[in-house]
Amino acid sequence: MSDEVQYTPRELLAVIASRLIRNEDSVFVGTGLPLVGALLAHKTHAPQMMAIYEGGSIGPEPTALPWSVADPLTFYKAPIILSMSSVFGHTRCGYADVGFLGGAQVDMYGNMNATTIGPYDKPTVRLTGSGGANDMASLCQRIIFLGLHLAERFPERVDYITSPGFLDGPGAREKAGLIGGGPWRVISHLGLMGFDEETCRMKLLSYHPGVNPEIIQQFTGFELLIDKDVHETEKPTAEELHVLRDLVDPNQLFVF
Amino acid sequence: MAHANDRLFDHQLARETKLKKTRALVDKRMPLKDAIAQYVDDGDSLVETGFAYARGPMGAYWEIGRQKKKDLVGIFTPGGLNNLWHEFGGVEGAHVAYVGVEMRGLIAPFRRGVEAGTLKVFSEWSHGALALSLRAAEQGVNYVASKSMLGSDIMKDHPYVKLGEDPWTGEPVCLIPAMYPDVAIFHVHHADMYGNGRIWGLSVNDTAIVAAAHKVIVTCERIVDTLDIRANASNVIIPWYCVDAVCELPYGAWPGDMPGMYYFDRPLQERVVRVDWKTRESTKEWVETNVYGTKNLYEMIQLAAEEEGMNVLDYVKSLEQFACSAAYFGLGVWGTGGERDWKYEEVAKRAI
Repeated sequence: MSDEVQYTPRELLAVIASRLIRNEDSVFVGTGLPLVGALLAHKTHAPQMMAIYEGGSIGPEPTALPWSVADPLTFYKAPIILSMSSVFGHTRCGYADVGFLGGAQVDMYGNMNATTIGPYDKPTVRLTGSGGANDMASLCQRIIFLGLHLAERFPERVDYITSPGFLDGPGAREKAGLIGGGPWRVISHLGLMGFDEETCRMKLLSYHPGVNPEIIQQFTGFELLIDKDVHETEKPTAEELHVLRDLVDPNQLFVF
Repeated sequence: MAHANDRLFDHQLARETKLKKTRALVDKRMPLKDAIAQYVDDGDSLVETGFAYARGPMGAYWEIGRQKKKDLVGIFTPGGLNNLWHEFGGVEGAHVAYVGVEMRGLIAPFRRGVEAGTLKVFSEWSHGALALSLRAAEQGVNYVASKSMLGSDIMKDHPYVKLGEDPWTGEPVCLIPAMYPDVAIFHVHHADMYGNGRIWGLSVNDTAIVAAAHKVIVTCERIVDTLDIRANASNVIIPWYCVDAVCELPYGAWPGDMPGMYYFDRPLQERVVRVDWKTRESTKEWVETNVYGTKNLYEMIQLAAEEEGMNVLDYVKSLEQFACSAAYFGLGVWGTGGERDWKYEEVAKRAI
């Protein structure tokens, strides 16, 4: 078993995140693990990917992992830096294919919460607030959400809709006047989820090595639909882990 | 006196204030202490500039804390480390798009304040919507119609933003009014004595805020000759006629990032977020030592250096190392070489 590739859950998350990015995608990159996934994709299979940061930078060539979406590394060799209203404006114009987000909670319709846990007026936990997350979820074509998979983080209904998913089901985004395509993928440390086209409900596409759909259901606060082609997630390759560990995040800022 | 929130969306009042400002080229340089004393009043709304922890006017914020200003109203787009003042009566409440330090996590004083109800959240925003609110002021329009925030809980019972209908297409839009904060403080790389300010890197919302705000203070890494500004105006984001005071303040963004000059003080930020500000008591102790117990920014940096067992000059050089070797590119003809040597001297003069 000495040739077995070893990896941590966060490394797996970063690798799956990077695989969802296609070459030539434009990706609005949120803070945290999305930064890692986007940089990994850029340095592996998606060299033509265009990164957009809410700090204003577009298309940089970062040498190391940015600490923030306004880190100077986000505009290293960037050909242009826009203002904040302009990057969201360009996103609304149609220049952002993928929005890449983290957050505290996501529900079965892909609504995301980064504002409060518990009632808004009397929160048990006050979180950061939207930042650019709401704008990305409203305006980007496809949304990828990254988060830890626990029943309280995957509730039937989020405590507060900071960023809109499919709201309360089919047709709700259109009715609300939202223009972006809405949630597309959810990556957790247990599995990769998508959304059912008819019901807009979250469904399991693949389960990570070591777990199965039943276990994932136990860690989910609502009934998870199962895709008919559900399968085990492909493990990270040695090459992906090498790039991740040695080139993307050598100081283990995020991935450890 | 009226509450800051009553002035925040009053475009007529904002215009009256600006009609009274001088357009003349007058020397506006003054010590930071005087600028804060004169232009930041108790109860003012204070808008974040830069990206809070990247090119934020942190030196000025520490001085606001030192002068014990009361009941300010924060506009956090985003809000960073200056979120601790409410525990000292400094901030009554805030308009919040984001408060945190990204992957470093939540800022404990903000979390404690909101959960306990001692820090009011007057309104909730997305970054894009708050940026548009300030941009509307700069562009001279009463409001803008946006596609952000629709369908979300942010729109529910929002005191300022309204759900509207596009008169041409009939589709739902989010109507965002123009915002005019009382005070904005900008930290820039270079400024002349009249207040023209030049940066490198991200302007974020600054070109909007400078036109929107009633009162403007500029702090800068270095005062330069006005000819230097006029000869290279393409990165100028602050025009002199908006500015009330100019203060030379090398390291004025510390412990945040100043593009091309110094990087985030990561050890210090980790320490305050994870340890020093964890409880109300430890925050109080930290502020008493580091803010009330110091005369200025340079004594604070000196304390931070001592904590790491370092000489203050080696400490600031270590912060510059990363910014200069890795993170600057396209800095152009200024801001390199002699610029840094000059800064060491200035820090040394002030610190020792």
